[in-house]
Amino acid sequence: MNAINPAELRALIRPDRVHRSLYTDPAIFTLEMKNLFGRAWVYVGHDSLVPKPGDYLASRIGSEPVLLSRHTDGKVYVIYNRCSHRGAAVCNEERGNVKLFRCPYHGWTFATNGDLDAVSMRRGYGPDFNLNDPALNMGQVPRMEVYRGFVFASLSAEGPSLAEFLGHARESLDEIVDRAPDGELDLSGGVHKYVFRGNWKLQLENVVDMYHVPFSHESTISRSGRQFGRRPGEESASAISDKGAAADRWEQRVAWGAAQYGHSYAGHQPVAEGLPDDPVFKEYVAALEARHGKARTEEILVPRRHNTAFFPNMTLQALNYHVRVIIPLAVDRTEIHVYPVQFKGAPAAMNAGFVRHMNVTHSAASFIQTDDLECFRRCQEGIATQGSDWVWFARGTDTDREDEHGDFINKGTVETQQRAQHAAWLHFMSQPA
Amino acid sequence: MTEARFDRSAVEAFLIHEAALLDDREFEQWRDLFDEDGYYWVPLRPDQKSPEGESSLFYDDRKVMQTRIERLRHPRIHSQTPPHRTCHLIGNVAITETDAAKSECTIRSSLMMADYRLRVQRNFAARVTHRLRAVGDSFKIAWKRVDLINCDDAFELIAVPF
Repeated sequence: MNAINPAELRALIRPDRVHRSLYTDPAIFTLEMKNLFGRAWVYVGHDSLVPKPGDYLASRIGSEPVLLSRHTDGKVYVIYNRCSHRGAAVCNEERGNVKLFRCPYHGWTFATNGDLDAVSMRRGYGPDFNLNDPALNMGQVPRMEVYRGFVFASLSAEGPSLAEFLGHARESLDEIVDRAPDGELDLSGGVHKYVFRGNWKLQLENVVDMYHVPFSHESTISRSGRQFGRRPGEESASAISDKGAAADRWEQRVAWGAAQYGHSYAGHQPVAEGLPDDPVFKEYVAALEARHGKARTEEILVPRRHNTAFFPNMTLQALNYHVRVIIPLAVDRTEIHVYPVQFKGAPAAMNAGFVRHMNVTHSAASFIQTDDLECFRRCQEGIATQGSDWVWFARGTDTDREDEHGDFINKGTVETQQRAQHAAWLHFMSQPA
Repeated sequence: MTEARFDRSAVEAFLIHEAALLDDREFEQWRDLFDEDGYYWVPLRPDQKSPEGESSLFYDDRKVMQTRIERLRHPRIHSQTPPHRTCHLIGNVAITETDAAKSECTIRSSLMMADYRLRVQRNFAARVTHRLRAVGDSFKIAWKRVDLINCDDAFELIAVPF
């Protein structure tokens, strides 16, 4: 396989379009695993999924299978799911709890931070066999950092710090975590999993696409132009349309793309109605006020960001709160995991409502996500043809401007966000080996 | 009512009728098999104890069912253009519990459902539990739980209930 040089990569990204090979070329996919998923900070999991020592969660960084594990020292570790001996995957299960990891093949055991615990039938190795050789551990990935429960890791020992990498996208994490009265999120309410026959970037581009909603999700919009209710007791929710007042409100959404590292978000539309005033919500507000006081609570509850995409593999939504993980399996196959988010310290009924509403919006049998999956599949099918070499991202190229931090900002149904993703893609992919 | 109402052939006929409604896409009639407080539940884990507080593939009360069915009937539901064709096969029907006082019984059965859309056929298999109530000369479903053997798999889009 020939390496793809930076000049060839640059030719694939134009200011208003990208080349179809981004979605279809297996060589580009292989290079993405090495240069992008092998270098960037990648979201691995949430620490609320491994609360007790010995808890573990299977995850991936690009194509690398890893385990997020809570060790006896109380910290979390990200280790390769691979026995150091003959390479067997040590854990089959997605989640579990162990005192020690034990490989089924020859019975080698490892501590929950990956350190070798014991080699079976030790006498069979000569006296020079060094049990303290770090190569005999289930190795830890080079870098790992936890930000407010979100565990990120990098397969590269070098590069920007997590804080530098996240930049102002970090504020999206703060916005949501601050909404939990205890200041912590809980992602242990189960996980929706779906798979589609398409490239991983189709999903990443879609979560910050505010243009597609009235068209892709037409089947969820009633004759009166309203989408079904998403919160307990709601008969119907937002008006969604490509015309009129509803469309105008949609065009007021902030569109933001990081100047570096590809993160992006779509802001909330202007809120016409006030906050809910049912007893459960009032109990929730009281819990927030007990911690933060009235003024700060009011600030916390202002809806600002809708969907944030953390390049390359994680998205966060603040309407039906969830964390979505994008798992690239092949150039034309992607698995997605969607975790409903619950707020520690919020009323149980509120959290149960969050979980319950995610069933109808984002399960593989849901009312919203399924139409997106259909469009992803169609895109992969159509992009593979020779009908055109280009995939268009031209909305807002004439109105993009910079905010006070030098990141890109615009409004409404633009494609500022996707252009930021493509710029970061090019940055990582072009780096020398 | 007598326990004879809950005889195996009567409940099996009911399950076969339910399967036919789904395969014929008579979703409104399928919804009407459920009692007013009825629900349809497809867990995402084998040992899920309750549909509350944890994610499910389907957890529909009659209200959610209604919204689901209205969407399935929408002229521009892209994920069902064309629609899935399904074949529900019921077997191993057994009455596992009868409560004469409440006129209710629990049924366990096996389900295999094939679906087909755009050159892809899938085969699902599940152990299914129904809680039935004798109402008039038929039954209403108090709840239906479908335990897919691949419940924690990653699925391509699903539209028709199992």
